[in-house]
Formats: sequence, C-alpha cells, structure tokens
Amino acid sequence: MSALMQEPATGIEPVEKSAGGAGFFLTLLKDRKAAAIGLGILVFFVLLAIVSPYISPYSATSQSCAVFAPPSARHWLGCDDGGIDMLSELMQGGRISLVVGFAATLVAMIIGGGVGIISGYFGGWVDITLMRITDYLLVIPDLVFAMVIADIWGPSLFHVIMVIGILEWTGTARVIRAQVMSVKERVYVKRLRALGAGHTRIIARHILPQVGPLLIANTVLTIAIAIYLETALAFLNLEDPTVTTWGTILEHAFERAAVSSGAWWAIVPDGICIALVCVGCFLLGQAIEDALNPRLKIAHLSLTRWKIRTLAGRGADAT
Amino acid sequence: MSGLLEVEDLHVWFEPPHAAPVHAVQGVSFELRPGERFGLVGESGCGKTTTILALMGLLPPNASLAGQVRLDGTNILAGGEDSVRPYRWKDIAMVFQGAMNALNPVKRVGWQIAEPMAFHGVAEGKAALKRAGELLELVGIPARSAQRYPHEFSGGMRQRASIAMALACEPRILLADEPTTALDVMVQAQILELLTRLSAELGLSVILVTHDLPVVAQTCSRAAVMYAGEIAEIGPMDALYHNPRHPYTRLLFAATPDLYGDDVVSSIPGSPPRLDRELTGCPFRPRCDVPMDRCADVHPRLLQVGAGHLAACLRAEERADKLAEVR
Amino acid sequence: MRRADYVIKRGFFALVTIFVAITLNFFLFRVLPGNAVTDLARVPHSGAALRRALTIEFGLNKPKWEQYVIYLKELAHGNMGVSFVYQQPVSQLLLGDLKNTIPMVTVGTVVSIIVGVFTGVLAAWRRGSIADHISTNAAVFAYAFPTQWLGLMLLILLANYLPSNGMTWPTAGLFGPEPFWQHLADIGQHMILPALTLVLTAYGSYTLVVRTSVLETLGEDYVLTARAKGLPMRRIVWRHAVRNALLPMVTMIAMDFGYIVGGALLIEVIFSWPGIGLAMYNAVTERDYPMLQGGFLILTVSVILLNFLADLIYFRLDPRITE
Repeated sequence: MSALMQEPATGIEPVEKSAGGAGFFLTLLKDRKAAAIGLGILVFFVLLAIVSPYISPYSATSQSCAVFAPPSARHWLGCDDGGIDMLSELMQGGRISLVVGFAATLVAMIIGGGVGIISGYFGGWVDITLMRITDYLLVIPDLVFAMVIADIWGPSLFHVIMVIGILEWTGTARVIRAQVMSVKERVYVKRLRALGAGHTRIIARHILPQVGPLLIANTVLTIAIAIYLETALAFLNLEDPTVTTWGTILEHAFERAAVSSGAWWAIVPDGICIALVCVGCFLLGQAIEDALNPRLKIAHLSLTRWKIRTLAGRGADAT
Repeated sequence: MSGLLEVEDLHVWFEPPHAAPVHAVQGVSFELRPGERFGLVGESGCGKTTTILALMGLLPPNASLAGQVRLDGTNILAGGEDSVRPYRWKDIAMVFQGAMNALNPVKRVGWQIAEPMAFHGVAEGKAALKRAGELLELVGIPARSAQRYPHEFSGGMRQRASIAMALACEPRILLADEPTTALDVMVQAQILELLTRLSAELGLSVILVTHDLPVVAQTCSRAAVMYAGEIAEIGPMDALYHNPRHPYTRLLFAATPDLYGDDVVSSIPGSPPRLDRELTGCPFRPRCDVPMDRCADVHPRLLQVGAGHLAACLRAEERADKLAEVR
Repeated sequence: MRRADYVIKRGFFALVTIFVAITLNFFLFRVLPGNAVTDLARVPHSGAALRRALTIEFGLNKPKWEQYVIYLKELAHGNMGVSFVYQQPVSQLLLGDLKNTIPMVTVGTVVSIIVGVFTGVLAAWRRGSIADHISTNAAVFAYAFPTQWLGLMLLILLANYLPSNGMTWPTAGLFGPEPFWQHLADIGQHMILPALTLVLTAYGSYTLVVRTSVLETLGEDYVLTARAKGLPMRRIVWRHAVRNALLPMVTMIAMDFGYIVGGALLIEVIFSWPGIGLAMYNAVTERDYPMLQGGFLILTVSVILLNFLADLIYFRLDPRITE
C-alpha cells in the first residue's frame, strides 16, 4: 500500500540493489544539492590545508604587524594579540584542526565500526556486553569526560586525538550494529554461511560493502563532532599550548581580551571556518542518511497537493 | 446513469522525481449503485488501489488526475483536495488493508472512532465516544474496548475496529481496500460476512478491492476486473464467472486457490506490464493464452458483450461484430 | 504488571550507570598511570598537612581495592573530599555552584526545546518550502558554530546592552540578603546572555531531530487514515504526526543532555557564571583534583538522572511498552 503510493503500478518489483558502490554516491551528489555542497566545502578545506604552507602570506608563529591590527590590504584578516597575521594563523590552525578531526575520527571509526560489526554479526553475549558498554558511554557527558581525561593525561595533541576517538565511537557502533544485523538476516548472506564461507570473508566481502554508505555518513558526522570537541578542549586550556588550531585561536582571543579590544577579526573568521567545515560534514552526512532512510520517501501529508489536469494526448486512449 | 457514485474516464498519473511518469489509472469508468456491493479485482500493480484512493482524492503530491468522480451528480474532485475534504468520511469512508498500520498506535481506539464525528457534525464529546462504543458493538467488539489501544487488539479485531471507524459518520459508500489480506482464513470469512451484513442492514454501498476473485464472487453482485490501469472486463458477477469474455478474467478464476489450501493451483505466468511507458496493442497480450496477431497493434476498447457486461478484448469484439452481422 | 517492569528496568539501568560512573571516577583519578590524587607533588597547594589528612581520609597508603571501598563509603556519606584550593569540602562547594548552574541550564534547555520543536515541525510540515529551507539551514549553522564562538559573538554584539558579569550573588543562590524580587531581576538580567548562547547552541540539533521524526511519521499509514477522515491539515500534523514523532524526539533530546552539559560548561567559562562548569574549569587550571572529580561525578549523575526522567516520559507517551 505504502509502496503503491510511492511507485504505483510499475509492475516489476525492483531487484534489491546493493547500497554500496560508486553508483550510490554519484546519484546522491546528482540528486541532492546538499550533498554536493557539503562535499564541495570539505574538499575546499582539505585542499586549502594541503597547499596552505605554500600560499600562506606570513608566518603563523612570528610577528608581522601591530598587536590587534585591524584588517588591511596587507593583512586581509588583521592581526592577533601577538601581531601575528590572522589569515596565516587560520591556515595553519586549519591544518592541525583537520588533522585532529580526521585522526580522532579514524580512531573512533576503528573502534566503533569494529564494535558494531562484531556485536551485530556475532550477537549473543558478545553483543550484550558490548552494547552495555556503549549504553554507559552514551549517557556520560562527553566534553566533561574528555576534559577529565585530557587533564589527567596532560595537554598534548596526541592525547586530544585519543580522547576524542575513545569517546565518539558509540553512535557509530550502534548504527553499524543495527545495519549489520539486518544484512546478516538477508537470504544470500545466510546461504553463504550455509555454504561454509568464513566469518571474516562474509564480513569483508558481503557485509562491509552494504554498511559502507552508512559508515561514511557516520564518519563525516563524527569529523564535525571531533573538530567541535577539539575547539572546546582547546578553549579549556587542555590543548598543547605550542600548537595552533582553530580551537586555540578562539581560546587566545578569549583569554587575551580580543572582545574588549573590539578585535572581532580575531574571532569571527575562525568561527566561520569551524562552522563551514561542520556544516559541510553535516550536509554530506545527513544527505547520505536521508537517502538511506526509506521512511522519508513516503509522505501522506504535504503542502503541495495532487493536481487536476487535462489529459494531453497521453494514455491508451491516444491510440 | 442511475449511479450513486459515477466514475468517468478517470486517469491518474504520477511524476516521480528522476523517473518517467507512471500512468497508473488509464481511463476507468464505472458506476456504483445505491446499496450495491461492487468488486474491483486484479493483481497488484494493476491500479485498483490507486483508483479507489483517487475517488477520495487521497493521492500523493506528485499525482495528477483527470476525469470525473460524481457523487449524486456532483463532481467532488473538481476543486482538488479542498473540494473533496467535506465528502471524506461523511459520504465516502474507507477501510484500509488489514496489514496496514491504519490505526494510530498511541491513541485509544474509541477516541480514533469518535475523532471525525465532530468535524462532520455527527456528534461531539461524550456523545461521540458513546457512539464509538455502539459502533464497536455493531462490529462485534465489546464497547468497553474503546478504552484500549490498537496494539492490544488482534489482527481481526483491529480490522473490525477499522470498519467501526469507517461507519462513524454514517457514510453511504464504503471503500474497502484488501480488507482481509494478512488475516487468517477464518477471520477473513468473518470480516467479509460482517461487511455483507452491514451493507445489507445499513443500505451501504461497498466497493471491495481485492486480488482475490472468489472473495468478490462471494460478496459482490457486480465487479470490474482491472489490468494495466484499465478495466478489462466489467459486469454482473454471474456473467463474469460463467461467461468471462476477457482471457484475463478466465485465467484469474482458474488461478484461484482451492478452498482447502493456499497453494495457487495455476497462476498466470508473467506479471503486469510497467506503466511508466506507452503500451501499444493489448496490454495483456504477452500473458494471454489465446493471442492473435492483431493484438500486438490494436488496443481493444471496452465493448458491450451482454446485459451490463463489457469486455476489452479483440476476440470479444469479433464476436460482437459477428453477432451484429447475424442480426 | 509488565509496564511496571519497564520502569524498574530503566531505573536499574540508571543505578548501574551511576555506579559505573562512580567507579570510572575512582579509576580515572586513582588507578590510571599518572593519576591525579596520589600524585600530590603535581598539586601546587599540597602542604604536608593536607597530604597527611588525605592519606588518612582516603587510605592512600592502603591497597587499591581497600581505597575503593573507603571511597565508596565516604561517597555514600556525601564526602567527595576537600578542595585543595579552598580547603573546604568539595560537596559543599559544588552544591553551591549547582544552585547557579541549574536555573541557567534549565531556562536554556527548555527554551531551546520549545524553539526546536516549533521550527522542526514547521520545517517538516512545509517540507521543501522556503520556511523549511530557512529553519533547516539556520539550525544547521547554529549547530555548527562552536558554543564558545557563539558566546563570544553575543558578548561582542550585546555586552553593551546586557550585563555579562558582576552579579550580586557569588554562590548565595536565590535566597540572598537582598529583597527577593530585586535579586531575581538581577539574576534574570545576567542570565539572558548565557541562556541565549545555550539556546543557540542547542536548539539546532532539536530542530533537525524533530524535522526528521515528523517527516518519518508523515509517511505512516495512520496519517493517510487521518486524511481520509477529512480532518484539517493542522490537526493531522499536531494530533497524529507530531504526537507519534514525540517518541523518537524524547529519546534524541535525552541523548543530547550530555552535549547540553558540555555547552553549559563552556558558557559558564565565557560569562564567568559561577556554576559547576566554571568550578571545573578553575579546578583544571589550579590542579584542584578533588573539585574536578566531584564536578565530573555530579554532572555525569545529573545527565544519567535526566535520561531516566526521559525514560519515564517515554513510558507515559507510548502505550505500547509492555515488554
């Protein structure tokens, strides 16, 4: 019935298509503007991070102009409290922030993906144990937890990466577990198992490709969270004080009275960069999730309505 | 025509994003007489559900509609969604598929039955709830069950409750879309019996949509067989059963599962054509057991083959022509 | 009664989670290498007297498991240790801070839920319209900007019009010496900026969650039934779609409590709001581990309790919970 509302009377049931593969992403980018915009933003920032050492106008660590000098033709985004060119600092900060975001996400994905796949595929007590741990971690406030661990371990870039990675895998684990459980029940996977295919082989060859798009969506969304957490930890003085990230730029601006000096340029562009990367991640990740959500495809209620039209030479009567 | 509800040249087509339009209903015409039980039969994907949803204007936003649906001579679809709304439930009510989640899971059943009454000026507040209880009694559920939630009901009870809900505003027409699908055989029989009884007692006209021809044969006096968005054959049940003039009708009866098992004795090979492309010739030709060369090019029209009996088959057409010649 | 079982089960889960948090707290601070409380040499304020007092109180010279038992016992009596900096019981200090945190976070959360629900329902109902685009994009951006950035921006833009610090109450809570109303007005004024920041930082994710859940329910069969009944659109949306969408909404909003607490922590730092977050921030700077430990425990337990509350609300909303 619901299927009829959506795709009435096409007769042939669509063959269950593999959700994975390049085809999925090509259609996604073509059909959903949000996905393309999100990917565009991310690619832009990644490219910028790669080339920034070559195009950065000034040093990101040494003074090149007056303290809190406003934006000018020579210093497009002005200067910070140490007379360092903001644009150069932003570029340098972006590099580190992205590295932290991607590395922490990688850690989270490895843990979360692993836990999710193992939990969903094997079930039983393995599943129960892992899911309990996930449940506990999910309710513990992550920034507070991260703050405590980072403080105990001491401030360093590596610690920040590990802390974020260790905290942010739970969502991924749950999503992946649910997906693996449903894939596992499909006939062809069952048949493979009956044929004696090994667990690793089934997981690697048949389940991972099915879970792929969802895993990517999750990865992208986790990158945003990781970058967000990094800025928060940096703001709380728990980042290595010698590195420059988008987080430490904000922290310096706050700590060194950029607000009372009216130096908005030390704050605004930085926040916009963080927000843009997060928006990019969010748009892309959400678009993938929406595309995979069958429940969003049907709407029985909508502002736009069916139309009364006259038949223009269509249908059987036209013959 | 003397119909209570007259459907004339109804077309419905959908324009899904990134795909060819799907012409789900292609010029369907029939009438429903007062107090009559009318069957709409066909395999899934033949446009029968879309047809009755269109009667109430219950179409998704990507749908377009042409043709007329007249109730007492008034075209209720003329003004789109806004013009049908007053007729919904007040004049035409619907019982959805048994398998469907048609009842809201977080609302009490009685509340759901009473809900439309206030909007159509039937009853309000306490009176509406009392009436909901009476309706439940009418379909064989204790009135106190109005306090319960849908998940506390069995499949059969849910379907009875749906029927009670459809009767809330004393409609004259009841549309039933596969009301017995997903129910077990005993419950199916009870639900059909209930529908028949209510139709007789309340003078209710019923359109019964099903893929199950014997169900229609038991319940309805007239029926239309739909194929590929069109009516293949329409007429009195007797004529369809004893003298089917379209091969599809004949094969459908033959494909009927026997009474004591649910194994299909002989199903029709193949499946209905896709409706997102123009069809030439007879849409049933690829599956027909008596195709002719002409069928590939000529699209058969519905022609009278008996009293109130029409079929869209070139063979029937030939015989009609011959009959005319003889006369 | 099987519905009662659900409450018991969720309550049990909350209790176990609290216990896990308590144990985690012990492990983080005492067992992990480079742990804090035992490593008193790193603490700037640790005199010999303090060290002796701690050693006796927490049995720092005893084996770990015995320390754990002592820790649990002390905690059961409400003893979270003594602040290195203030030389006062942590529980007493943090309770005072909690009194300041709760009103600000409550106001911010309630307002953001209200704003999130309305904009989310609007976006779902008018899917694809300009209203949908505006509210969805605004939500995505509000969600994407870091909390501390939003706070700083509000400071830059509004600090001249609204007070951002200098409240008359340090830790007195609502019932200080001044007249009650004057005091309340003062708090209210000072609360606007922090609470507004919290709303900005939190409402976006609610909008998006609500939008998706409402859209999902709009595809449900009972929405088609409601339409067939001839009900007006507004009623279908609120009584049928939104009512059912409340269920996933409650779960998602509950899952965001941890995020809210994190946001509130940053906000307290920016606006010098004398709450638990600020206390923890100061504890990090001053290496005041008992305070940090106590803050972690209180915030974590609060989030667990709020999640349990959400479970109870879910229970009230969903008649289907039977197993």
